[in-house]
Amino acid sequence: MLKVIESAVPVACWSCAVAHNEATLFCPHCSKIQPPSGGDFFSVFGLKPCLNLDLTGLEHEFHRLSRKLHPDRFARAGENEKQWSLADTALLNDAYRTLKDPIHRTEYLLKLHGAEIGEEHSRKDRRDPSRVPADLLEEVFDLNMQLEEMRAAKKMGEDDPALQASLEQAKAKFEGLLDEVDDSLRAQWSKWDAGDAGARAAAQKEMVALLDRRRYLNNLVRDVTETLGA
Amino acid sequence: MAYSDKVVDHYNNPRNVGTLDKSSQEVGTGLVGAPECGDVMRLQIKVNPDTQVIEEAKFKTFGCGSAIASSSLATEWIKGRTVEDALAIKNTDIVKELSLPPVKIHCSVLAEDAIRAAISDWKKKNGVAEAAAAETAAQ
Repeated sequence: MLKVIESAVPVACWSCAVAHNEATLFCPHCSKIQPPSGGDFFSVFGLKPCLNLDLTGLEHEFHRLSRKLHPDRFARAGENEKQWSLADTALLNDAYRTLKDPIHRTEYLLKLHGAEIGEEHSRKDRRDPSRVPADLLEEVFDLNMQLEEMRAAKKMGEDDPALQASLEQAKAKFEGLLDEVDDSLRAQWSKWDAGDAGARAAAQKEMVALLDRRRYLNNLVRDVTETLGA
Repeated sequence: MAYSDKVVDHYNNPRNVGTLDKSSQEVGTGLVGAPECGDVMRLQIKVNPDTQVIEEAKFKTFGCGSAIASSSLATEWIKGRTVEDALAIKNTDIVKELSLPPVKIHCSVLAEDAIRAAISDWKKKNGVAEAAAAETAAQ
């Protein structure tokens, strides 16, 4: 479980002893490598948590830091620095992988702010009917029935062109809905990035609901694709 | 994580899988889903109009083993009970019976929700006062 964001505590550089309160991989004062900080993935790139990210800039920074952290550069450094170059590289890789993907980035930021996403909130025995995408249930159920029929037909070596066509249609439809969810998510990104605490809280709630809907749709598209392709 | 023997048994031999006639006056249908894992569960009951006893219960669940076992067990339990008695079933009873681990508790919640949804649909169809049911559901 991620910890909720706290304001950064100043850390003194192990080498030059100058305190810095940025969770950086290198000391801003003497440029020496630092042990992995307890900061979040955004701070690894010197960023404040945000959802609209400049991906080209992020990639650029990732490559720059990767080169700087490369273990070869620490071949003659002290044992601590050698270890840190490995640990920082692992942190950098995790951070980049998470932030470059729009969905992972959104989930990560929401978790940082204390939201419970996916399986995590299901651990609590609570029900909140507003979370269930009710308009989808009927369709999801029917689609699952068709998928089951399709799998059975395939197993028997039978062809069912009508069912096949219907499933392909359903797939296109759910892919369309997935695009709509992604558009809505992007709209919430901007609200979150620009908003004050109140606006952010509202955007967070919206995004958690959208991610639930997205997970649902994504599983459906995956199942249909698998069944059609099998 | 290993499933308990009871879950495996219900999963391999699910009881009361099937469909009841949705349009029948005596049938109530509950369709619920868990966005967390994408499970969908349909539970249907056929209620005797004179005695209010649930004479038939059928389910169809798309989801994990625990979700299937929870709904299978739910149909077993509500059969033969009156509607009001069936509402007394709590998800914690299902958790206990099936020894569900904490990560699968939501499956039992889903099964309880499905029972409530089916009964509420039946009540709506038959003009039974919804106030009391809505109150319980809101808790």
